Amino acid sequence: MNNNHNHKIRISRRHLRIIQGLKRHKAHPLLHHLHKKHKISRKTLFYIKEYGPHTHVSKTIIRESIKILLLASVISSFGGMALESIKAAFIAIMPLVILLPVLNDMIGDYGTIISSRFSTMLHEGKINSHIFSNKEIRKLFAEIFLVAMTTTFLSCVASLIISAKHAFSWITSLKVFLIAFADVAILVSLLFMVAIIAGLYLYKKKEDPNNFLIPITTSIADFGNMIILTLLVILVF
Amino acid sequence: MVFFDRNFKEIFISQLVSITGGLIVGTILASYTDKLLLIPGMLILLPGFLEMRGNISGSLASRLSSGLFLKVINPRRVNSRIIKGNVLASLFLAIFISFMLGILACVFTYIFSHVYYPKIILVPVIAGIIANMIEIPLTIFFTLFFFRKGHDPNNIMGPFVTSTGDVTSVLSLLLVLFII
Repeated sequence: MNNNHNHKIRISRRHLRIIQGLKRHKAHPLLHHLHKKHKISRKTLFYIKEYGPHTHVSKTIIRESIKILLLASVISSFGGMALESIKAAFIAIMPLVILLPVLNDMIGDYGTIISSRFSTMLHEGKINSHIFSNKEIRKLFAEIFLVAMTTTFLSCVASLIISAKHAFSWITSLKVFLIAFADVAILVSLLFMVAIIAGLYLYKKKEDPNNFLIPITTSIADFGNMIILTLLVILVF
Repeated sequence: MVFFDRNFKEIFISQLVSITGGLIVGTILASYTDKLLLIPGMLILLPGFLEMRGNISGSLASRLSSGLFLKVINPRRVNSRIIKGNVLASLFLAIFISFMLGILACVFTYIFSHVYYPKIILVPVIAGIIANMIEIPLTIFFTLFFFRKGHDPNNIMGPFVTSTGDVTSVLSLLLVLFII
């Protein structure tokens, strides 16, 4: 009995070493065999393939992350360029300077939440052909929109209190509120449209929307925030 | 339709945490406008630099969480091969991406404002190294800590690394600008 147990362990370790030598994109039948016979979860097998003994952990991470990080940096730089073009007007309005990182973080978070919740709905089969009359979609939109407007209001109040010693007129304060609300409302609506259209397209192509929607929506959120903020500052001020 | 359900409360509370971090960063930016934002190309560099911090630390926390749940990483053993590999990769990525951000800021500033300011390449690299020295140990410590306490780090580390990453990034940039 001990020999059988040792034999099973020897088979598992040998097979795990073979898995580590597999190319990333290859799905070897050995993975399915190990999952079925030795009850090793697919996630563990994937993790071992990527980061197990005899793999180069840092090289794997760098190779897989560098392209998307570079792309995100380039997109953010383009967004930053738009702000740089109105630098003098922008930094003169202190509440907007305070709100810049707040809006960036907030809208990025909403992109992530919308993408992951919509992906889950797709996987659970809650999405039918009539998207905009779907009760779950309308509830999600209403929730996100309400939270977004509430947190935008609180952020604007906080930024005006922090910059109170610079004594802005009530018209300037109203314009700050208008810019922040308009920016968030436009972007939340845009992120919803993108998540629905891209999510449905990817799901129909038998791809997991979770893998693509979050990078897409966070890039749109970051870039879009800068561009829309720039346009609103030009229009309003 | 019930709006103020558990989902609403969870999203709202996590956003309050996120905006608190953003307000702290925004206040620092507003207080040191002459040191930070008046530098040529800084507004081109800043969004990418803040986002990079969140991307790298967030991915680090997520990989460590996966390893912890799959029992491939021991939560009481920091000196493991996987954690060391993650640290090396995060450090390299931060330095490389910071360098690229500096190059982009310098090039775009020259093309569109006709201002040549090569120091903007060095600023994010040094600031990235300083921010990493703080952020990487913090991320590893809190991911392992929350896991040992029975929490799911995936639910907590996202807003946490975004907020702390923004604060450490801006403070690092300020420190470098004071030095240079």
